[in-house]
Amino acid sequence: MSETCKVSVERRGDVAVLATDGYINNQGGEEIAREAYVELDKGARALVLNLQKTRIVNSIGISILIEVLEKVMERKAVLAFCGLTPTIDKTFRIMGLAQYAAIYPTEEEALQAVGTPA
Amino acid sequence: MSDSAVRNHAGVDGLAKAFSSLRIETEKPLPARIAGAALALAGARRAAVYLRERDRWQLAFDSDPGGAADDPPDLFLETAVNQGGRLWVPLDAEGETHGCLALEGLDEEGPTELAAGLGILFGAVLAANRLSRLVKDAEFEIKARLLELESLYDLGLSLTGQLDISALADEVLYRSISLTDARKGTLLVFGERGAPPLSRSVGGDILPVEAVRTWDLPAGEAAINNDAARVPTAGVQLSDCQKCLVVPIAMPGRRLGVLAVADKESRDGRVLDFTAGDARLLALFANQAAAAIDTTRLHREAIERERIERELELAAAIQRQLLPRELPRISGLEVAGSTLPTRQVGGDYFDFFPLTRGRLGFVVADVSGKGIPAALLVSTVHAAIYLQIDASETIVELVSRIDKHLQRFSATHKFLTLFFGVLEPESDLLRYVSAGHNPALLARRSGGIERLSATGVPLGLVPNGSWTEESVSFGRGDLLCAYTDGFTEASNAEEEEFGLERLEEELTSGLSLPVREVSDRLFGAVLDFAQGMPQYDDQTLLIVRRET
Repeated sequence: MSETCKVSVERRGDVAVLATDGYINNQGGEEIAREAYVELDKGARALVLNLQKTRIVNSIGISILIEVLEKVMERKAVLAFCGLTPTIDKTFRIMGLAQYAAIYPTEEEALQAVGTPA
Repeated sequence: MSDSAVRNHAGVDGLAKAFSSLRIETEKPLPARIAGAALALAGARRAAVYLRERDRWQLAFDSDPGGAADDPPDLFLETAVNQGGRLWVPLDAEGETHGCLALEGLDEEGPTELAAGLGILFGAVLAANRLSRLVKDAEFEIKARLLELESLYDLGLSLTGQLDISALADEVLYRSISLTDARKGTLLVFGERGAPPLSRSVGGDILPVEAVRTWDLPAGEAAINNDAARVPTAGVQLSDCQKCLVVPIAMPGRRLGVLAVADKESRDGRVLDFTAGDARLLALFANQAAAAIDTTRLHREAIERERIERELELAAAIQRQLLPRELPRISGLEVAGSTLPTRQVGGDYFDFFPLTRGRLGFVVADVSGKGIPAALLVSTVHAAIYLQIDASETIVELVSRIDKHLQRFSATHKFLTLFFGVLEPESDLLRYVSAGHNPALLARRSGGIERLSATGVPLGLVPNGSWTEESVSFGRGDLLCAYTDGFTEASNAEEEEFGLERLEEELTSGLSLPVREVSDRLFGAVLDFAQGMPQYDDQTLLIVRRET
């Protein structure tokens, strides 16, 4: 696993797909937030966060994701997660992220759900 | 809203109503919202909001960030003060100062009822916001503790039945790093019987393997070192970390590995001290890991044992297929042959080959090793004999051909000893080659036993081996007994071997019996001698006697 989390961004119309690779901790969370805010400022109405290449998320990373989620909701946009390991899936559900952001098994399903064909 | 509008709403209630009627941009941070509302309510030209963070003032928002700015005066806290061209309004609630509002360009200078009202109103807003943050933090903390408990439960479940120690190590390491907010971590599982350790790391290896192997960590306890960059941890200097938490993975009396996490991070990027709570959590993970590793290894051993059992059953089946299904009926000869297989299948083999002119060929062989490899070599020898026996003029030629076949096709370090004899009743001779085999016993009708020693090296052992063919007279009533070393090396509880002399004695005393009974008598004698001790090598016996 990467020592630092890398975030790649792909735009699908007004949906931005952010794919992470590595540990979502303070550094990883900040990187996600930075890219997410850029995409929101560019008018994205939905963010899909693909965590397929992430195996670990700590509480700092979760608190930053909650901040991102709050920002997304303020902007009346949508946030969806996909590609979660069972452990991260459960973590998000317990920590309340899943309450306001849907979780999908695959990126294709997430894109379909937020209204952009894969 | 204008100043007059504010004045028409006297007091805090009026301000609150005015505040609620304002259009506030809710997406902005709270200090910006307070400054915006204050500008609108008080008719100020510039508004700045300071917050009290860790006993220091922090400028949170300034409507004119390029303008001159000072920290709030130290002594203003009781009431609003006018200082440096600004009206400093403390934002208080329930006796606590949560922030400070600085206003410039007011119509009226100095503290006013409006300023006091703003202070109470926005103090309450800040207090409510702080309370809300505290509630959110507490809620987050409760969820984080719940996550810890769930993780321990899940880890227990997922490690049950996990037979891949590598996957198990990843699972434990990931959860340990995640739940302690560590930046990095390493998990080492020591290899069994000198095998290299399994090492898993995130963020870089922090454990020097060789030093860790003999680490004097107290079993069941975690070592916290919050100055790990300078001070060794339990005598070992860890690599590239500022603070660390290390715990042994151990079962009573056995150390299985080490789990370490390092550099617990905070939201603002600092490295925090590990706490006793972190240590407790990591020790729980390590305990679960130890139990799972132990169970996995025991399970693997059980599977391996089962595999060996199946292999032995298969080997035994191969061997049974190769032994003669029935004994040959040759006029003038009495024959017997049996194998008593042990639990660990060896490589014993015997067979008879009726030849032309009333002759009888026979072989007793013992392959090195046990299990499938030995059974396969027996199968090779069996096939080679049947393929070559008609093409060979002499026993030496046959044995040489078998040897060449083995040298070419069998695995290295595999060999066999063999006694191959041919009885020629018409010439009263027994011709034989013994390739490193135990001496066959020739019991004369007239009395006395002769030992027929080896006439060459075992087959498949050395390239270009040589053998000689010997012949001895074999008259009416003479008996030949060929056997494998499982017979003579059968041992009793005192680790004493049955031996060649006992075999000769038993043979001599039973010589008048039919060969089938002689065979039974010899097997019985070995069984009695062993006194129930398990034997680890097959026992094979072949007897041929010329009728009188």
